[in-house]
Amino acid sequence: MVTLTIDGKEVTVPQGTTILEAARSVDIRIPTLCYHDRLNPIGSCRMCVVEIEGYTHPMAACTTPVDDGIEVVTSSERLTRIRQDSLKLILVNHPLDCPVCDKGGECLLQDLTFEFGIDQLEYQAAKVERDSQYASPLIRYWPDRCIMCLRCVTACQEIKGIGAISIAGDGYGAQVVTVDADKCQSCGECLQVCPTGALTEDLSRYKGRTWLIERVPTTCTYCGCGCQLELNVQNDRIIAVTTKDGVGINKGSLCVKGRFGYEFVNSDERLTKPLIKRDGKFEEASWDEALDLVAEKFSAIKGEYGPGAIGGLTSARCTNEENYLFQKFMRAAIGTNNVDHCARL
Amino acid sequence: MADGKILTINMGPHHPATHGVLRLVLELDGETIVKVTPHIGHLHRGIEKLAENMNYQQVIPLTDRFDYTAASLNNLGYCTAVEKLLGIEVPKRAQYIRVIMSELARIMGHHLWIGSHALDIGAMTVVFYAFRDREMIMNMVEEVSGYRLTPSYMRVGGLARDITPEFIKCLREFIKWFPTAVAGYNTLLTDNIIWRKRTMDIGVISAEEAVNYGLTGPSLRGSGVPYDLRKVKPYSSYDDFDFKVPVGAKGDVYDRYLVRMEEFIQSLNIIEQALENLPEGPVNVDNPLIFNPQIDDVQKDISALIRRFKIQCQGPVIPEGEIYHAVEGSKGELGFYLVGDGSESPYRMKVRSPCFILVSALEKLMLGHMIADAIAIIGSIDIVLGEIDR
Ligand code: SF4
Ligand code: SF4
Ligand code: SF4
Ligand code: FES
Repeated sequence: MVTLTIDGKEVTVPQGTTILEAARSVDIRIPTLCYHDRLNPIGSCRMCVVEIEGYTHPMAACTTPVDDGIEVVTSSERLTRIRQDSLKLILVNHPLDCPVCDKGGECLLQDLTFEFGIDQLEYQAAKVERDSQYASPLIRYWPDRCIMCLRCVTACQEIKGIGAISIAGDGYGAQVVTVDADKCQSCGECLQVCPTGALTEDLSRYKGRTWLIERVPTTCTYCGCGCQLELNVQNDRIIAVTTKDGVGINKGSLCVKGRFGYEFVNSDERLTKPLIKRDGKFEEASWDEALDLVAEKFSAIKGEYGPGAIGGLTSARCTNEENYLFQKFMRAAIGTNNVDHCARL
Repeated sequence: MADGKILTINMGPHHPATHGVLRLVLELDGETIVKVTPHIGHLHRGIEKLAENMNYQQVIPLTDRFDYTAASLNNLGYCTAVEKLLGIEVPKRAQYIRVIMSELARIMGHHLWIGSHALDIGAMTVVFYAFRDREMIMNMVEEVSGYRLTPSYMRVGGLARDITPEFIKCLREFIKWFPTAVAGYNTLLTDNIIWRKRTMDIGVISAEEAVNYGLTGPSLRGSGVPYDLRKVKPYSSYDDFDFKVPVGAKGDVYDRYLVRMEEFIQSLNIIEQALENLPEGPVNVDNPLIFNPQIDDVQKDISALIRRFKIQCQGPVIPEGEIYHAVEGSKGELGFYLVGDGSESPYRMKVRSPCFILVSALEKLMLGHMIADAIAIIGSIDIVLGEIDR
């Protein structure tokens, strides 16, 4: 165990803890931008600088481990200036995109810029138009908005263990590139961790604003993992799926189905009324008609061939309750044990 | 009633002389009032609760709807309260313009009062003159804010925009004209024998009782207590101006009338001083956390764009803390108690409505008087239900 002081508060943490983690354990907030709870510290943004008694240079709190007896100061005029300068450098070649950027309103870069009261950039850089291809057509990459924090690259490597993307180029020309498009699973992990609007979900582009949507927490219905996700609903339509970091079994990750497979919900092609085939053609019918027909057919088959002639297949995409009711119906109403489930296949 | 002598009648809420949707249950012994029970709440819109879900700037239009006869005063009370919570002060020019707008609002409020008060008691002519002049102010308010009754012209941190040359021109004309107009109102009422008979010695409240009831504004000053927040606890540069606080002697309907009549002139005085000494300069604080950057900057500088985006979409963030701040409204002490929780919406906003307290003194004022005096008394405390019910 190591004991140090942060802003005059004594903190005791295990050896190897970073200053940032130590500060958070006692509710001291150090602003961060590239740091992400699920990733190893990246140390690319310099927002988390702190002063340590006896050191001339400020240190990045997210990468510096604690040491016995050090005295850390997390906010001072000098630190604010350094943070402001780091932000200004990031903003220099940032496009004027907030009004059309999907992230606008929950963008960490916006939050920090606002918090640190940056209202004028003393320097401007020449704009370079850049076009970019991303690993997956479901994800759009906006190189101009990218702040080179490396969260996406790290997440692809550390959370997924894939490494489909990397950084190429240097200076203002640097951008995220695909190193192996075949490896990309379109899981959207990079999208999830990106603090800015540099990676956006392409299906929901321009559809909603964070403060107008309602985020409804629910469980993914695609498979038995039961990932927790949030449906982003605007005007009764799902316009995107997001997750909360650290929530549920998936802790913020999703697979391609969970994250992008939501358009069917509001699809015009979905059946909204039962159809009955008459003379080789499907015709719309009422629920009463349809259920009567099914019941009649079931009874006829059961009467003629016995309940063993009927079997039921249910789905992993139904809830436990629905599956329970289904098997109950098969056993009690029909009288057969022929019940099965796609997840067994 | 059991003995058959007491008659209970219901007055309002749809009664033109209750100044809004006030309902009074009056118990009468013959024509004499023996009990008064006010019922309020017919205009309750839950404004204090609504404010908890809005950002601090969005609350301003809600405040217009308290005492809508003098909306700018509510804007002023609210904005200065939030600014106090933030620890900022708006530029001098903004303070002076706020004073001008507030005093115009006070005059507008008094116009509505004199018009309807006289009308209630049977003097019909006054309302036409009052509204003629009120219209002049409405036009000016429209000129600067775009709205006539509910200007929402002030902002936390300053004003929506600077005043225009046209406004100044109209204001100069108004300043020149208005003393004549007030003299006209006086001719119609002050020495009018019917008016005096209907108002003198009616609804008397002594200074001590008025203080105990918590009355403020002209209704308190009518009883001789010179309590005016503009003097007692000056805000928005009111200490720069030279003006008198008129008081009454007896505390009857007539005294309250005289106080307001003199306030017309005093408000005009303040407006004139503010206009003549109007400082140059910006009308908004220069604070990146509160106020929108210039639109030119927004179009070329990402940090200004982000600032505008955040301020417009999310609203300024107000630090944790609580504050009570009051201004002299046209009806009395209009106070705002605000609790900030470090977010962009107030955790709690409680309004000390002068009218709510005035209405509680109605029974005291009315007991023993004739039913016809009830109307004169309601008019004399100048209540507005938008503020009582909120
Ligand atoms: S990434 Fe953030 S700062 Fe950049 S354009 Fe989008 S919302 Fe604005
Ligand atoms: S795409 Fe997003 S996460 Fe990746 S480096 Fe750029 S800003 Fe960071
Ligand atoms: S997100 Fe993918 S892994 Fe998670 S429950 Fe849905 S289908 Fe299964
Ligand atoms: S958060 Fe520490 S360097 Fe980015």
